[in-house]
Amino acid sequence: MTTPDNSGDVRLSGISKTYDNGFTAVQPLDLTVPQGSFFALLGASGCGKTTTLRMIAGLEDPTTGAVHLGDQEVTHLPPYKRPVNTVFQSYALFPHLDIFENVAFGLRRRGIKSVKKQVEDMLDLVQLGEQARKKPHQLSGGQQQRVAVARALINHPKVLLLDEPLGALDLKLRRQMQLELKRIQTEVGITFVHVTHDQEEAMTMADTVAVMNAGRVEQLGSPTDLYENPDTTFVANFLGTSNLIEAEVDTKNGDDIVLKAGGGKLVLPEARCSAPTKAGGKVLVGIRPEKISLTHADDAGDIPEGRNRLTGKIADASFIGVSTQYVIDSPVCDELAVYVQNVERDGRLVPGADVVLHWSPAHTFGLDAAQSLLAGTVGSAGTEEEAAA
Amino acid sequence: MPTLTEAPPPLAPTADGKKPTRKRGRFTPYWLLLPGILWLIIFFALPMIYQASTSVQQGSLEQGYKVTWHFATYWDALSQYWPQFLRSVFYAAAATLLCLLLGYPLAYLIAFRAGRWRNLIMILVIAPFFTSFLIRTLAWKTILADNGPVVHALNSLHVLDLTNWLGWTAGDRVLATPLAVVCGLTYNFLPFMILPLYTSLERIDGRLHEAAGDLYARPWTTFRKVTFPLSMPGVVSGTLLTFIPAAGDYVNAELLGSTDTRMIGNVIQTQFLRILDYPTAAALSFILMAAILAMVTIYIRRSGTEDLV
Repeated sequence: MTTPDNSGDVRLSGISKTYDNGFTAVQPLDLTVPQGSFFALLGASGCGKTTTLRMIAGLEDPTTGAVHLGDQEVTHLPPYKRPVNTVFQSYALFPHLDIFENVAFGLRRRGIKSVKKQVEDMLDLVQLGEQARKKPHQLSGGQQQRVAVARALINHPKVLLLDEPLGALDLKLRRQMQLELKRIQTEVGITFVHVTHDQEEAMTMADTVAVMNAGRVEQLGSPTDLYENPDTTFVANFLGTSNLIEAEVDTKNGDDIVLKAGGGKLVLPEARCSAPTKAGGKVLVGIRPEKISLTHADDAGDIPEGRNRLTGKIADASFIGVSTQYVIDSPVCDELAVYVQNVERDGRLVPGADVVLHWSPAHTFGLDAAQSLLAGTVGSAGTEEEAAA
Repeated sequence: MPTLTEAPPPLAPTADGKKPTRKRGRFTPYWLLLPGILWLIIFFALPMIYQASTSVQQGSLEQGYKVTWHFATYWDALSQYWPQFLRSVFYAAAATLLCLLLGYPLAYLIAFRAGRWRNLIMILVIAPFFTSFLIRTLAWKTILADNGPVVHALNSLHVLDLTNWLGWTAGDRVLATPLAVVCGLTYNFLPFMILPLYTSLERIDGRLHEAAGDLYARPWTTFRKVTFPLSMPGVVSGTLLTFIPAAGDYVNAELLGSTDTRMIGNVIQTQFLRILDYPTAAALSFILMAAILAMVTIYIRRSGTEDLV
């Protein structure tokens, strides 16, 4: 795209969805997905991500608000009038039509007579040229998935919507298809809106990720931004693992905040704290497990000055190849997770050993202490109950 | 991650230390099949053989019948009663078509739109089976009676003028006309159309409708290109379940028709029970069976349902 083009923008303004039974799946939501971007809606099941996607597709009527594609308002247009196509969860391929006719379906409905060349080219793009005359049930899961993508893409939609498209595939195939989809998106330059509950998938593929929880967007940003600077405990726990430690604001020291946690002090850059930092106020200190270094208590003197430190005892250690994952009980916080790369293994770091955890203050982030510590952890009461509500 | 390296303890040996015997189980399927096979032999195979032999017998009630391999009975029966054969096929086809036109929208409604009313409507469809077939057909005699409200309404709407012109009714009455017989057949066999249609429609994944809409198909196109083709197994089994019994039916023609609307079932019934010409009756039965079998085979081949999921 050389000329500035916004026809593939998706703008959601104040859209919400409340079902007849009174359940509000999506709270009023404002969102702009710029033309040509790969956008992921990430969240646990029941968080409203699929409903949001269905409102863009026209399969669900928003209760309030408006949907724009570029400059065109499509809020109440039926799906067959929207320049948008969807790759459905478990594909929804037409079982009575062969692969060729599945892919040609959209073209034929728009009255295009000579579809042969286009369909063949599209099947070649997804490497299924040989399978054109087979029925969907004769293909493997990965092949069906590619047919679903081809069937949608052949219509050159302004926006391609993907509803958990890789959910039914096994792990290895999923990784492969993630790269494949990313390649196709870069090649065709169409706006992709991708719904997934797999945080790794969202981070691998998307330029921008919106993390949704209980019908709201918790945070929106690039994958790195979300991972390094989560705004809420939900995001901190849902994207990867976070250690969250309750602490009290002590003093401010230039750009840094000094906090009291247990008996010790922790330093947190003020710019990385999303919570109010009044002296005496509570803050949750967050640190990712892989940012923490582990030193045996006997060598505590070797740790450079200026690093955040906590003492603790190794409760459990599991060797998983590239790294070793430790669970450490500290007086400040139980069950801190620490991932140590297996570069030089210290033989003394076994369960029961006293250790010092230390990390650079720059890697610390601060969150509002008024939230549930467990929000967003897998299977935690926080997310699942909301999902079921 | 804890690792488990110890193998589970070996399974404790069974009480008597012997392997469970397989011998007893080997014949179980055949024992279970036996009642069904006996049923088929006694009530299907034997009567068929008996009828087949009757159809090639000659003789009379007084002197007794003998198998003389007199195949000419078939030819005589066919040449004498071909109008009733044709009429049966025509009435059954008309009733099947009417059942399809009436039943499909209803089955569609139950499958996709009825929501919490689904079970109630299903019960209403099946409810007529709780009373006898004969009583329900007799009730139609009252409904279509010459001085009844139906005839009166059709008359004042000038519908009867049209059906008279088409030859479906005669005079100012509905009873004892082809229309009455076809209506009776349609009414009696409608549930046999609705149930298979409902079953195959209900199995269609709702996301296929969404996918079709998403791929620019308007609702009517979605029906034509996705819903209807996927419901073909139901259409085929529904039409067969309606057409086959309707073609052999004689109750509707007997109660609602006249001598001009006699179907082949009526002829067979008369031959068996009144004229007591058993060979002709048996030959007619076999001709009817062969004709239906041939038509059904062609129909199934043409509709290509074996290709559907």
